[in-house]
Amino acid sequence: MYFLFEYLHLIFSGFLTTVEVTFFGIAMGLVLGTILAIGDIYGGKIVSTLIKLYVEFFRGSPLLVQLFIFYFSIPTLLDIQIDSFTVGLIVFGLNSAAYQKGYIKGAMASIYEDQMMAALSLGLSKFQAIIYVILPQAMRLVIPAWSNEFCSLAKSTAALLIIGERELTSAGKTIAGHTWRVFETYTFIALIYFVWISAVMKALDILYEKVKIPGLEVSL
Amino acid sequence: MSPLEKLTFILMGVPTTLAISILSFFLGLAIGLPLAFIRAYGSKPFQILVDAYEKVFRSVPEIVIMLFFYFGFGSHLREPFKNAFFTATFVLGLRSGANQSQIFRGAIRGIGEEQMVAARSLGLSRLQAIVYVMIPQTFIAATPGLGSEYALLVKDSSYAFIIGVLEMMKRADVVRKVTLDTVFPYFAAAFLYILLTFPLSTYLDMWGTRKKKQLGL
Repeated sequence: MYFLFEYLHLIFSGFLTTVEVTFFGIAMGLVLGTILAIGDIYGGKIVSTLIKLYVEFFRGSPLLVQLFIFYFSIPTLLDIQIDSFTVGLIVFGLNSAAYQKGYIKGAMASIYEDQMMAALSLGLSKFQAIIYVILPQAMRLVIPAWSNEFCSLAKSTAALLIIGERELTSAGKTIAGHTWRVFETYTFIALIYFVWISAVMKALDILYEKVKIPGLEVSL
Repeated sequence: MSPLEKLTFILMGVPTTLAISILSFFLGLAIGLPLAFIRAYGSKPFQILVDAYEKVFRSVPEIVIMLFFYFGFGSHLREPFKNAFFTATFVLGLRSGANQSQIFRGAIRGIGEEQMVAARSLGLSRLQAIVYVMIPQTFIAATPGLGSEYALLVKDSSYAFIIGVLEMMKRADVVRKVTLDTVFPYFAAAFLYILLTFPLSTYLDMWGTRKKKQLGL
């Protein structure tokens, strides 16, 4: 496996790209997903239908298609240039928002009614009730689903190699092409994915235990 | 090429896309169902093995595993991995096995220990209880999850494109390269993928939820 040391810089810069895209995607997905979830619950029929279409597009079509659409189609339609890294950030953010919307909406719905009524009767406005009462509880409940979403997002960033972005898998492909030591290279790459994804999931588990409200856990 | 010709060319990839998805779904079923029962009723060392299998396929990208098998074995022209279609189906099937094991395990847990105890008290052996009592109910309880697993496989079958299988995604890309039309082929492909996943998984979800309610699972 020593030959891999010569390529450590390549692996490391690829790994950084993977991590950056993953964390940006999760963060953007969280913000946008929360907005979509609130819009879906309180926005009325038209907003709700639009959100449904958005979610159906991003959950129903493969990531590869979405990457190609944002890499080839959108730049042609709008007559702009987008580099592959930015395409990655946009696509994974929008894609993750579609999934996270579902989880957040589910968590909000599960604590919605009684709590909302109680908050309203205490004189909070609907908006205040969402921000101060519903969301803080929903965000705690959503952590387990969220850690699954993190896992599948982190792993699917490998798809970026088709638009030529130099992330971890494409670094592996380059090394395998140079050295023809295919098994060792991809085993090492797989190990990196395994270790970092497992580590973050473990951290999210601990976070869930730390912030949970006794009596309000997710029932499995 | 007229839009109709482009669409026809992409549509010709549907059989391959469906073949990869359906075959890997059944491979995943053949792996996932036993694993779920081992995880639920097996001895400790086996449980740990199943757990490790699930964890690996949960966090290693399918693309990396496909490249591993295809260029690892395939480059030495070893059957059957030099066949990209086989490799893609095989890898997605292994991955789906890990997912389906989790789906079935959830279903087994949902059915509850009482059924197993009741079956044993009626004189069925452990294996008989699993085959005649648990598995039929497990399938019903797992239907919504299996529906979304199938949809996931249809989408992920597009990864076969990376090792060169001529399925729908690859055909859309060929159309783009030949005609330099960067818009139509990808939107057409997106639409077709949604068409292949949405109706079936929605139906299975509805059917499974209704059936579960009926049977009180």
